Amino acid sequence: MPNIQEILGSAAAIAKGMSVTLREMVSPAVTEGYPDEPPRLQERFRGTHILERDENGLEKCVACFLCAAACPSNCIYIEAAENTETTRISGADRYAKVYNIDYSRCIFCGYCVEACPTDAIVHGHGFETASYNTSSLIYRKEQLLRPVKT
Amino acid sequence: MLYNEPSPLEVKVLTRRFGLPNSQSLDTYLASDGYKAFRKAVEMGPEKVLEELKVSNLRGRGGAGFPTGMKWGFVPRNSPKPKYVVVNADEGEPGTCKDRLLMENDPHQLLEGMLIAGFVVDAHVGYIYVRGEYRYVIEILDRAIAEAYERGYLGKNILGTGFDFDVYTHTGAGSYECGEESALLESLEGKRGVPRIRPPFPAVAGLYQCPTVLNNVESFSAVPAIIRDGGAAFAALGTPKNGGTRLFCISGHVNKPGVYELPMGFNLLRMINEVAGGVRGGKKLKAVIPGGSSCPVLKAEECDISMDFDSLAKAKSMLGSGGVIVMDEDTCMVKAALRIMRFYQHESCGWCIPCREGTLWLRKLLARVHEGGGTQSDVPLIGELAKNMLGRTFCPLGDAAAMPTIAFVEKFREEFEAHLNGAPCPFESKPVSA
Amino acid sequence: MANVKLTIDGKTVEAPANTLLIEAARRAGIEIPAFCYYEGLALQAACRMCLVEVEKAPKLMTACTLPVAEGMVVRTNTPQVAQARKSMLEFVLTNHPLDCPVCDKGGECELQDMVFRYGAGESRFLEVKQHVDEREWSPVVFYDRPRCILCFRCVRICAEGMGVAALGVVNRGASSEIAPNRGDHLECDECGMCIDICPVGALTSGTYRYRTRPWEMQHVGTICTHCADGCKTTLGIRNNRIHRGNNRDRSGVNGEFLCIKGRYAGDFAHHEERLLTPLVRSQDGFKPVSWAEAIKTVAGRFAEIRQRGGKFGVIGSNHTTNEENYYLQKLARTGLGTNNIDHHRTGDVLSLLRARVPLATTADLYHSKAVLIVGVDLAQQHSFLAYQIRANWRHHQARVYTVRRGPVREDKIAARIVSVEPGGELAGVETLRDDLAKEPELVILFGDAIQGEAVARLTEFGSSLGIPVKYVCLVDYSNSRGAVEMGVLPAEGGMTLPEMMAAGDLDALWVVGANPLRRHALAGKPFLVVQDLFLTETAQAADVVLPAASAYEKSGTVTNVCGEVQRLQKAFETPGTKTDLEIFGLIAREMGLDLKQLGPWTPSAVFAEIARTVPGYDLPVEVLEAGGAVQAGPSDGLPDAVWAPVQSAGDTLFTSGTLGRYSKMLNAVREAPGELYRA
Repeated sequence: MPNIQEILGSAAAIAKGMSVTLREMVSPAVTEGYPDEPPRLQERFRGTHILERDENGLEKCVACFLCAAACPSNCIYIEAAENTETTRISGADRYAKVYNIDYSRCIFCGYCVEACPTDAIVHGHGFETASYNTSSLIYRKEQLLRPVKT
Repeated sequence: MLYNEPSPLEVKVLTRRFGLPNSQSLDTYLASDGYKAFRKAVEMGPEKVLEELKVSNLRGRGGAGFPTGMKWGFVPRNSPKPKYVVVNADEGEPGTCKDRLLMENDPHQLLEGMLIAGFVVDAHVGYIYVRGEYRYVIEILDRAIAEAYERGYLGKNILGTGFDFDVYTHTGAGSYECGEESALLESLEGKRGVPRIRPPFPAVAGLYQCPTVLNNVESFSAVPAIIRDGGAAFAALGTPKNGGTRLFCISGHVNKPGVYELPMGFNLLRMINEVAGGVRGGKKLKAVIPGGSSCPVLKAEECDISMDFDSLAKAKSMLGSGGVIVMDEDTCMVKAALRIMRFYQHESCGWCIPCREGTLWLRKLLARVHEGGGTQSDVPLIGELAKNMLGRTFCPLGDAAAMPTIAFVEKFREEFEAHLNGAPCPFESKPVSA
Repeated sequence: MANVKLTIDGKTVEAPANTLLIEAARRAGIEIPAFCYYEGLALQAACRMCLVEVEKAPKLMTACTLPVAEGMVVRTNTPQVAQARKSMLEFVLTNHPLDCPVCDKGGECELQDMVFRYGAGESRFLEVKQHVDEREWSPVVFYDRPRCILCFRCVRICAEGMGVAALGVVNRGASSEIAPNRGDHLECDECGMCIDICPVGALTSGTYRYRTRPWEMQHVGTICTHCADGCKTTLGIRNNRIHRGNNRDRSGVNGEFLCIKGRYAGDFAHHEERLLTPLVRSQDGFKPVSWAEAIKTVAGRFAEIRQRGGKFGVIGSNHTTNEENYYLQKLARTGLGTNNIDHHRTGDVLSLLRARVPLATTADLYHSKAVLIVGVDLAQQHSFLAYQIRANWRHHQARVYTVRRGPVREDKIAARIVSVEPGGELAGVETLRDDLAKEPELVILFGDAIQGEAVARLTEFGSSLGIPVKYVCLVDYSNSRGAVEMGVLPAEGGMTLPEMMAAGDLDALWVVGANPLRRHALAGKPFLVVQDLFLTETAQAADVVLPAASAYEKSGTVTNVCGEVQRLQKAFETPGTKTDLEIFGLIAREMGLDLKQLGPWTPSAVFAEIARTVPGYDLPVEVLEAGGAVQAGPSDGLPDAVWAPVQSAGDTLFTSGTLGRYSKMLNAVREAPGELYRA
């Protein structure tokens, strides 16, 4: 037969346990509603890259290949071409005609961003790169470029 | 032609014929001991002439002050190559205008000096490289040369001595750099006027890589007097190590600017006050550049100084080419430094990196400071950049740009600092004529 | 010359008297940085980077102009020297744009390296930089003044090295700039030496600029396939494509030299008309077929003709490798059973080999005290040999004699010039007898003006001088010499190339890397098989065309005009083509020939056989493998081979046979030939 101390003890323990539950019930949630709602990412989260444009809308990338040189997983492929008087793509003498990043190899280390002398490549917040087809993991320049502001 | 009244303090040796009627003509020259020195030199023989030159303590009048006798002695007389006499009449140093007068007023004195030099080193061809801006002087020289040929003072078998000598004039194209002796030779050869790597020096490998005597107009012009009157007499005019007289070109804020022939070692203050009539408008003396724009500036309190090579070297300046530039109390020293740097930047030949890039940087920097765009760190930077050029350039032009700049910053630092952080130039409202 | 001892940074160094301090230090492993100093060119002392402390000298001295002296004490590692270097770099960088990310030189720039090692971390230059727009001097040379540091290397290499003097300096001070000889454009060899020697990115080449970056390329050192001089060219390869050729590592016989062809004319390999699939003639023109089918067609017809005892003709190439030439002649002789094999002979190497006289190497041209050039415009046709002779004249005051029909560039450095009418070359040489006999040694170079009997008479003349004489027989194309020595020549009873073309009764004609229809008409209607890169005149007439790989796409060895054997390195692949050696092997196998007797068709195996069987070719493989050059010889003079008249291809600096026709760059440069070039 349980004595009164045990009953009171159990009740206290339950109350103590429930107090945590009740407190958490009214405090804000720490989990996120992803994928039902967009995830909240830290400012410096390193997601898929964005190729930036300058204030005139020209591409910042001058095809210096330093990102490709810095890349430890060798996933950046660039082909350079020269700006002409009629078609100007970047602010400097040349631009990247082809700029591919192979996300099946990218390790999101951020070295490319650090290496870039013109701040042309930055990490965006994209991370949903999963695919059934590896060839679709190679992002072309058109996919990486920041859209022109209208 | 004379441009200023002579001063009673002058000792007229080189300029003794100045002011005589028709002083350019051979007759006037002959009437006052002309070509006597050459005859005497032929009698004496080359060794004795050299000896006499060494005794005279004549030091090169172009700027560096190298003993002329020693320089001629370096020329290998027995070399199988032809030898040349070249006169540096590319007088480009700002503040200097003495060679022009010597050529305008007494061209035969120069020709006789060249003849003696040719006789001493066994050269038979002489060139006078005249500054591009002095084109009209060439006419005077050519007239004198033609006259000398006509009367047998040039050409074959001069005065029956068996010595042949031809003289040609050549004009520069207006480059300060061609006043540097090796650049002058390059230009004379028809190449781009940039200096040569030395050694070998022109005495051994000069014009067309042949032994060459190369001196300033004033140095050559002094030679006839030395030979005529003896080296000792010439030496006695000056101080122990600095023989003879010298043409000082006094310019700037003085009452009577002009060219005055004074003994070496003449006191600078006396020169300004007694010879040139004192500072203009009774203003206070602020600074003096003692020997042409490449020489470090002297503050007013440093001006009680004997004007010879050694005393000025002791005061960390130079006698240079004798261009005394006087600046009064209203002169902005930053602007003066800028003016000088603008000149050197414009005249830099572009051969070596420190001079080409250094002068341009300093010009831009000084201009910015003068306009009030400077900051505290710019003042030491000016001095540091100049020091980075000093002694590291290919030819002396870099030093010539660096030395005055260093002196300006060191001696007038507070004036530079008064220009900083948007402050207007404190002298700008007053008339400036640096 | 006697050695002197001096101390550099506390290290005792011994060097011959009169060595420049910078060289003595470099040899002792102490680096003294410099921009304007370049070994072999006139001294400049303009960049002031090599300032060092010398004891007893009042100020810093330039190591590039200072000869070493006994007891000299030099310090290169003091704070004063470091400060001087730092300040010089600071001055250079004032007007130098910091556009390294888009500069072609970025990554292999001497200024970058120097600033990294000796320069300051930050700039104190706040003023506005001078800007001058970039200029196009020619299709291959671009000049960007702001990047130029005015070291004048380009001016000197052009004037001294190339003997052209197309570059000069205009303006003064900070506005100085390099200017081309025609004011706004260049009229010169377009050799690109100025671009290569430029320490920064001021001079860039039109074919390479903005394409890629140095570290993105694979650098493959191989032998240029254009002329016979055998220059090493280091091809920059990215994505199976040649982006440039250069020779910065100076590892070949040619040192730093390369002409326009070695540097830029690799673009023929990527021409859109390049054959990429075998073609077989049908009723309505060529039909692309598979390799298997093409080989089957060729081998089938060959076997059938062989069986019925038909007549074969084989024309080899003067730019395929020694291995291919050897295998081809062996295949022709043993497999096809024919002795009708020849190639386009461009110089009478055969007669010279038979004269059994010493042959000069390219290095001999640089060291010999005297050189005689007979009947050839060397600067146009053999620009590397001409460069060697000019360097010899400059550095060793060699005496140069020219016997020629019209003015040539070597006249400028010649001690004596003899003008002759065509055919009068030997008589012209004879007039030099007294002068030549006084020389301590001599190298004689001759072109196709001297052939047959005349070669014998020239060598007799040489022997009669009583001094050591060496010879060079000038030939065109990268392996003419090798084709002769490998035996791509008819033996007694066989037909020569003109005879084959005129025969009319050949059943099959096999043309490998040659274009005989350009010079000869084909009399009969043989079964014509052509292996080539392009649809040449001959290929257009063929029954089967097999797309071959270029010299840049295969391994093997070639023999240059001086008999120096060097190894080709495969630089890249053009899918669809096969090397000539592989094609031979496939045809032989398909024909069912005795492969054991023919041997395996790999370059190394064939070369091993060449070393065993060809006199003079038992050469150290390890030297060749390491990229070295070894002169072959002495030859047995090929006693069996049939002599035939030779004719030079007459190429100039801007032409290179078929390959030149398909180089867009060469054609672009050639469009406006100036008066400097008569071609």
